[in-house]
Amino acid sequence: MTIDADLFESMRLELRRGSLVLAVLACLRTERYGYTLRQALAADGLEMEESTLYPLLRRLESQGLLNSEWREEEKRKKRFYVLSPLGVQLLARLGDEWRAINGSLDRIL
Amino acid sequence: MNAKSEDMIDRYLEAVAAQLPVDERDDIIAELKDLILSRVEAKAEALGRAPTDDEREAILKEIGHPLVVAARYRKGPDSLIGPELFPYWLYGAKAGLLILGAVFALGLLIRLIGGSANFGQDIAQAFHGFFGAALTLIGSLTLAGAVMEHYAIRPKWLTDWQVKDLGAFGLSDPSTWGMAARSAGERMQAGRVGVRPLRMRQRNVVGDAAFGFIVLGLFVLWWMGVVHFPGVGVIYLDGENARLTPSPIWTMLFLPILAYALVQMGGAIFTVIQPQATRIRALLNLLIAGFGLWLTWAIFQAGDWFTLSVGAETARIAGDMTMLDLDRLRTIGDGPRDLAGIASTLSLGMTWWLAITGLSLVWTMARNLGRLFQSSPE
Repeated sequence: MTIDADLFESMRLELRRGSLVLAVLACLRTERYGYTLRQALAADGLEMEESTLYPLLRRLESQGLLNSEWREEEKRKKRFYVLSPLGVQLLARLGDEWRAINGSLDRIL
Repeated sequence: MNAKSEDMIDRYLEAVAAQLPVDERDDIIAELKDLILSRVEAKAEALGRAPTDDEREAILKEIGHPLVVAARYRKGPDSLIGPELFPYWLYGAKAGLLILGAVFALGLLIRLIGGSANFGQDIAQAFHGFFGAALTLIGSLTLAGAVMEHYAIRPKWLTDWQVKDLGAFGLSDPSTWGMAARSAGERMQAGRVGVRPLRMRQRNVVGDAAFGFIVLGLFVLWWMGVVHFPGVGVIYLDGENARLTPSPIWTMLFLPILAYALVQMGGAIFTVIQPQATRIRALLNLLIAGFGLWLTWAIFQAGDWFTLSVGAETARIAGDMTMLDLDRLRTIGDGPRDLAGIASTLSLGMTWWLAITGLSLVWTMARNLGRLFQSSPE
């Protein structure tokens, strides 16, 4: 019996979904704007749709986890994001949680 | 970038902007525009030339449909009925549709048994009525769910439920409806072995209430003249049809009787929703029974209930306290089978029926009064 490709894809997306917020927060220890952030994530193997990434950035900012500012770069105004002090704290705790889950899953798998 | 390409991007952004809240619109659109232009520049660098219009359009399609992109920025819920509320919405729709189906099927059956003049028309009317009511039900449920979702309303019964509150959820399974009809037999059987499981008792209360709601609903429809039951008010007498004409007391009590039935229906709904609220139900039943007792007394006191007529000949169906005599009750049906004899029998029957109804209501009041002051709810 072969695994249904759609079933695998839906479960893979479900698995990835929870980790994307952590990846975005971790990537924003360095200041970036949306496009370069997406490229950085993709370079590390985490492709993310713009229609998901940009609203996520606004949500994280409204939650006080990111700071942002508009600045001109390459002759265009761009919005740069970086972790806020609260975001730094949360990232540290989420990182510990992630490593604990990872360790548990490694043992189970 | 040529003017046509700029125009395509602007049209795309306008479509997104139209869906966004005004206070955030400019900010979001400026960021999206930067993203699109960055993507176009990256594409140009990869191709070593300016992308064609088709290639630019492909980038916009990759970013997503304007409605989808704008929806991701919404702060409210993503769906009309979210995953948390959906099971409740589904239960409400399922149970409501089953009850509506049963009511309309019963109505249709009664019309057909009563000798329908137009079989096809009756079926069409029943379907029409059912679909209209079903759409109203689903629309109302969806509206209520959407309001709850939008304002994050979570009533206590949704978050703080207890196992003993779950009786009403059997309603979505029509096989449990028969509990009402079977309840008496089951109670006797359980009583014989000295055990009466809580589950059976709880489900019977809810089943009885649901069953009562449907029956009362049919009564209300008949009382208001919405449905007609052929044969009601006609007695077959010596080869002729004798007609029962109601006395003025029924016209005088039209609204109180309607209110009594509607209040009972309200009580039945409350029982279905809150089967564990024993004391509140006891108070409700006490008040309803009190109202019923007053109505019964008013009808009894009127003393003149119907006129039975065959052609020009008439006889009154009436009664008073003097008829509440056991010796007279023993002679019921012994009289002649003429109009006066039948009217006399019906008068005696009606008098005793009213008296027994009154006593039964007094008993209901006493029982509910006892429940109201019980130290612990059942």
